[in-house]
Amino acid sequence: MTTYTISIFTNNTIGLLNRITIVFTRRRINIESLTVCETERQGVSRFTISLRHESREAIEKLVRQLRKIVDVLAVFGYLDDEIVYNETALFKVQTPLGGQTIDIDVINKDHNAWVVHWGIDYVVIEKSGTGDEIMQFYQYIKGYGILEFVRSGRIAVGKTEKGLVEYLPEIGGWAIA
Amino acid sequence: MAHQPQTAANLLEEVLQRPTVTGAEALMLSLLAEGVDTIFGYPGGAIMPTYDALFGYMDRLHHILVRHEQGAGHAAQGYARVTGRAGVALVTSGPGATNLVTPITDALLDSTPMVCIVGQVYSRLLGTDAFQEADVMGITMPITKWSYQLTSADEVPEAIAKAFYIAQTGRPGPVLLDFTRTAQMERMSKPFSYKKCESMISYRPRRVPKPEQVQVAADIINRAKRPFLLAGHGILIAKAEEELKAFAEKTGIPVATTLLGMSAIDADHPNYVGWLGMHGNYGPNVLTNECDVLIAVGMRFDDRVTGDLNTYAKQAKVIHIEIDPAEIDKNVKTAAPIVGDAKECLMALLPLVKKAQHPEWRAEFDKYAAIEDEKITQTTIHHTGHEIKMGEVVSMLSDKTKGEAITVSDVGQHQMIATRYYRFKRPNSIVTSGGAGTMGFAVPAAFGAQVGAPDRQVIAICGDGGFQMTVQELGTIAQSGLPVKIIILNNNFLGMVRQWQQLFFDNRYSFVQMQNPDFVMVAKGFGVNGHKVSSREELSASLDTMLNFDGPYLLEVVCEKEENVFPMVPAGASVSAIRLE
Repeated sequence: MTTYTISIFTNNTIGLLNRITIVFTRRRINIESLTVCETERQGVSRFTISLRHESREAIEKLVRQLRKIVDVLAVFGYLDDEIVYNETALFKVQTPLGGQTIDIDVINKDHNAWVVHWGIDYVVIEKSGTGDEIMQFYQYIKGYGILEFVRSGRIAVGKTEKGLVEYLPEIGGWAIA
Repeated sequence: MAHQPQTAANLLEEVLQRPTVTGAEALMLSLLAEGVDTIFGYPGGAIMPTYDALFGYMDRLHHILVRHEQGAGHAAQGYARVTGRAGVALVTSGPGATNLVTPITDALLDSTPMVCIVGQVYSRLLGTDAFQEADVMGITMPITKWSYQLTSADEVPEAIAKAFYIAQTGRPGPVLLDFTRTAQMERMSKPFSYKKCESMISYRPRRVPKPEQVQVAADIINRAKRPFLLAGHGILIAKAEEELKAFAEKTGIPVATTLLGMSAIDADHPNYVGWLGMHGNYGPNVLTNECDVLIAVGMRFDDRVTGDLNTYAKQAKVIHIEIDPAEIDKNVKTAAPIVGDAKECLMALLPLVKKAQHPEWRAEFDKYAAIEDEKITQTTIHHTGHEIKMGEVVSMLSDKTKGEAITVSDVGQHQMIATRYYRFKRPNSIVTSGGAGTMGFAVPAAFGAQVGAPDRQVIAICGDGGFQMTVQELGTIAQSGLPVKIIILNNNFLGMVRQWQQLFFDNRYSFVQMQNPDFVMVAKGFGVNGHKVSSREELSASLDTMLNFDGPYLLEVVCEKEENVFPMVPAGASVSAIRLE
């Protein structure tokens, strides 16, 4: 099984998520994570989809089918070494009176995680990193009592020097000037 | 005082004071701007404002009232297949729209341009389970090339322009517009204007091939000793028949067609060697596995063409010329792909390929053709047994119409027989449901084709099963007076399923026998004349009567009950394993 990351640039249109997932569903390819956001270009959305599959050929065919969708501007398929990628996780950890104290130093320095909210008897810790790093932190913190755990989908940028505008010179100006 | 000339300013003021058109009327104007002449449709609640607008345009937009929305869809397909222009289907929301699902699926698989305009409830009622509301956008997403929901009248011209552009360019396909009652009824906020869509940033099909791809392919072709060309539907869609002929004649390469590619080349052309696939000809199937270069043009290596992919043309270098890049390497690995429009690609290849004849290689096709002719074709055409064979009827029809008719076939044994025994002389002469295999396709597609090609003889060839799936469309044919001819090859069986049960399910005939109505009486009940023939002596005269009849006509031919279609490549077997009996 290899992990693939697919970046899909689209017009910002209602229903497009549905059209994209149909391509996956029909080929019985499971989506591991999905993140959608606006890009630096006006009216252009970016879907980042990560998945695991044993056949590179199947993923290449999938990418070609995605490119066929009207309103899809460009699709790139990546292996992990071709991208810089990250995820974010939030951990709600209990800190009851008289309970085990959490070690902020270890959390900050060893795990690169940060307490982002202090509650009366809990804290919320944010940890960004690869999936493995997040799970390492999970193993560390779980002994303190995790009340809630949430993890975002993968986000990724390619390691090429090109920007989106070089692939798609026709699309509009900067969304955020 | 002389008449005061109108200034630009007061002209503008006057124009601005004119009431703008409603969304429904904007649709009519947009369709006219796209050159639409015919709409196949069926009214109902949510589409009534559009039908009201249509009332005022009926002199310019010819509307054919079908008997079921599926009929509208297939008729639009038939129209599109003979004209190359998008067929238009207009139906209401909810069940009206869901009845279009089969034709839309069919059109997607067979790359048929179609614009479906579907009524929808008021915008404010969307998502409330209102009367006749269905999530048509959701239902049709997997089966449309593109779809759009119109919620305001101002969106109409641009959406229609995009719809026709997307449906008719690249690899053609069905598009759907979900037209809310709100968008139909409200007035546009500005004067109507229409601009045809000529390009889109997010949809850019490649027409002209990359020269380097063409050169690689040409080099392979020039070194080939046993080249073989497979011509698909893409030739007809691209109107590349002349280019195909020129290419075949210059290179001496034998040409076979797919089911939907039939009529792309004259059946009597010396390079034509027959058709491919499960019930295709002997030589083209067997020799696919003996050629050294396989040139596939505008086709997608459907499993009915290839049989077992693991044993398909493994010895050959495959050149795949195709407008849809997703088809490259999808089923068959390609040595040299050329992405582009079939006409443009063949035009680019033609000056680069060398003249050749390949007489020995072509003689091999003749050898197989002779065996097939002796073992199957001749014994069918000149059958002397008591019962009429389906092939006799089609062969006689082919002779009588000189291969000039448009044959619209339904799905099943008779479909394979129609394509085996009709010798097509003109392009766009076979209209059939290939990819989806939709029973009930032929009758509505036939009158759609007749509307699209009023000067040609259109003949639907049906089985007794499929005919009954859309029998109600006889009413449409009678009302519109379209001179469509319908032949039912009646064997009182769902013949193809029965054949498979006989050959592969140990003769267990599970629910394939039909108790049929009196077809001629049914036709007459609808106001369509007809006749039933069961003896060979009467067959020729009956066909003459049908062909010469002024108006629609139904001919029922009682055929041999348990006739099988051969040759046949058993499902999942290699094309080399084709059976002659």
